[in-house]
Amino acid sequence: MMRFIRPLVIVAGLVLLWQVIVWLTDAPHFILPAPARVAEAWWVHHLTILGHAGVTLLEIALGLLCGVALGVSSALALAYFRPARRWLLPVLVASQAVPVFALAPILVLWLGYGIASKVAMATLIIYFPVTVSFFDGLRRTEPGWTDLARTMDASRWKMLTRIRIPAALPALASGLRVATAVAPIGAVVGEWVGASAGLGYLMLHANARVQTGLMFAALLTLAFFAVIIYFIVDNGLRRALPWQPDKLPAHQQE
Amino acid sequence: MSLSYAGAYLFKGLDLDLLAGQCSALLGPSGVGKSSLLRLIAGLEQFETGGKIDIGANASAALANPSAPIAYMAQQDLLLPWLDALGNVMLGARLRGERPDHARARDLLARVGLADRENALPATLSGGMRQRVALARTLMEDRPVVLMDEPFSALDAITRLRLQELAADLLRGRTILLVTHDPMEALRIGERIFIMAGRPALLSEVPPPAGTTPRDPADAGFLSHHAELLRRLRAADAQI
Amino acid sequence: MSRIFLRSILLPATLVLLLASTGAQANDKLTLLLDWFINPDHAPLFVAEERGYFAAHGLDVEIIAPADPNDPPKLVAAGKADIAVSYQPQLHVQVAAGLPLTRFGTLIATPLNTLLVLEDGPVKSIADLKGRKVGYSIGGFEDALLRAMLARHGLSLDDITLVNVNFSLSPALLSGQVDAVIGAYRNFELNQMDIEGHKGRAFYVEEEGVPSYDELILVANPERMDRAVLRRFLDALEEGVQYLVNHPDESWALFIRGRGELDDELNRRAWRDTLTRFALRPAALDRARYARFARFMYEQGLIPEVLSVADYATILE
Repeated sequence: MMRFIRPLVIVAGLVLLWQVIVWLTDAPHFILPAPARVAEAWWVHHLTILGHAGVTLLEIALGLLCGVALGVSSALALAYFRPARRWLLPVLVASQAVPVFALAPILVLWLGYGIASKVAMATLIIYFPVTVSFFDGLRRTEPGWTDLARTMDASRWKMLTRIRIPAALPALASGLRVATAVAPIGAVVGEWVGASAGLGYLMLHANARVQTGLMFAALLTLAFFAVIIYFIVDNGLRRALPWQPDKLPAHQQE
Repeated sequence: MSLSYAGAYLFKGLDLDLLAGQCSALLGPSGVGKSSLLRLIAGLEQFETGGKIDIGANASAALANPSAPIAYMAQQDLLLPWLDALGNVMLGARLRGERPDHARARDLLARVGLADRENALPATLSGGMRQRVALARTLMEDRPVVLMDEPFSALDAITRLRLQELAADLLRGRTILLVTHDPMEALRIGERIFIMAGRPALLSEVPPPAGTTPRDPADAGFLSHHAELLRRLRAADAQI
Repeated sequence: MSRIFLRSILLPATLVLLLASTGAQANDKLTLLLDWFINPDHAPLFVAEERGYFAAHGLDVEIIAPADPNDPPKLVAAGKADIAVSYQPQLHVQVAAGLPLTRFGTLIATPLNTLLVLEDGPVKSIADLKGRKVGYSIGGFEDALLRAMLARHGLSLDDITLVNVNFSLSPALLSGQVDAVIGAYRNFELNQMDIEGHKGRAFYVEEEGVPSYDELILVANPERMDRAVLRRFLDALEEGVQYLVNHPDESWALFIRGRGELDDELNRRAWRDTLTRFALRPAALDRARYARFARFMYEQGLIPEVLSVADYATILE
């Protein structure tokens, strides 16, 4: 029961804080609308908002799929092929150093104004944390396990699939959590640069037409879905990795 | 064989003969190179210069060859946290791509007293239980030579005593090299006792007490053997 | 000796200093937010600034270029700035949304918006847009403009596909991603494409069924504006336009003084093409023209009602 009450209380508290800020700063409605105004806008436009939300969610999902697939394979390549390390590692770092906003227009020009460029943007943002965390995990396999495996005549392939990869999964999980948190950013940035649908587009559109209530409603919807996605992924990861020690009560340990 | 770290020889021209079917205990102060020696034999380290280890009648079996007939047990249990006890016991077969013998694995787990914990994850087991699973795993490998690197030193005194007995019983008849820092352990289960001392290190043998292993510490003469070992270990420690 | 010193030198000196300092404090400060980055559309402002006309009228004008064109009117409405350069169509919508804004002057008195296609492309007339893709930027009222322009040729918005290309209108057209773009400025994008080696053909919105309007206007917050100060501002601005029209080449030199990054081929061509479009009388207001455009916006469904012009436009006496 508490599990459901707690988030509701947090949300209610935030809404109250928001209203207090509006009162204290006497903010005009076209800069910071009061919660009531935003709620009204959501009620009036909820079908439009949800329609655009669907588009953005699709971009996020596809971006996560591509980003994770690319990230995992890159990490494996980096861990196993020395030349890959020399060539791929600098590219990896560069991909992160360049601000996404600068790359966005180029991607749009190459991939068009459809969903491909948005997915590419999200993939770009997700790729780095996934690759780095998984690569790190692969590199740092507990040496005792690899020693043991060697004395048991494990082949290189078995060492990888039975020892190194499972041992690196918790690190990958951390990377996935970060990736899930930043995926919406990639999708929305892509939409800002050129899109005709999606919550990012809706926010820009509403902003231009001075429909600040709608803009905030779209923004909050995006935040809501981002949180939901994060919790789904987090839960899924915890179920997939049941051996993580932090899950067990202290008295059962040595 | 020779091995050096950071330019200084740990040991040089070291000779070690292990009698088949006996448990040889290797004592020595920390840092003398006991674990390194063990790892060399296990094939986990490379020789510096010419080293040859003969196992059994096959004189050309050099130990850089990974299919040497050894099983390895370390101080940490090295249980894979994502496999349950049974899965860990059957690890060797899985790593070699062989079909694991479930019945045998369960039997071994029963023999170390963990029949009711087959499906437990290592994180739910105590230290002593985990090391027992490791022992079962070692037994599962069914190798003639077993290398053990201070396997019980991380456990509390009572658990240690129990596991020493268990190991002595279950591993009887195999050739064991047991590295330990505990002279009591050497005296209890070592059929031969070596002390490694000096830099570069050399081995010297010490006659063990009478009786079959596991020996009872309450036996007469046990204490004097213990005192002698301590005296020699102290001297060895001063040499490093 | 000391008495004579005091009376003849120290006292007058102090008086002069006092007068000078109060004279300096007599300059009224104004913050002006441009609609976007500095470009030739803002020429009169910079000519007035460089020629010292603002200072001569006792004004200290701080000109700021924003990154987001949507911000300046909101900031003025919120009381964070005094003047914003904005767009007449947006003003109608903003006032309808409740922002306290009023237009008190005009910078560019004609529309600059066009529907742009490639000269050697498949679109020779607006009727050819049927079944094609049209690129636009968020923030304009492109769908309303297009609807009016298409209606004249018997088409509706359903006959075309709208693609949001945001601010890269020319690249989208040049790369063939779209067949036409709306929201391109006749003084800018046309020249940009010409420089790239592809001539463009422009359809002028006011010739295709959209009532004429002021592309760039000056807005202030009616609840906070100091009418006397803003009148002086307009006087200085008018002098700026005058000088600009009489001495276009000298004015260009003033425009790029200290702003070397603006000195490029595109800006030079845009400068030349914008000269005929500046409001020669910035303070003047044609009420019927504004009312006519308000009616157009109402018919297009962009504003809920037609307000009286006095609600959003002011003449400063």
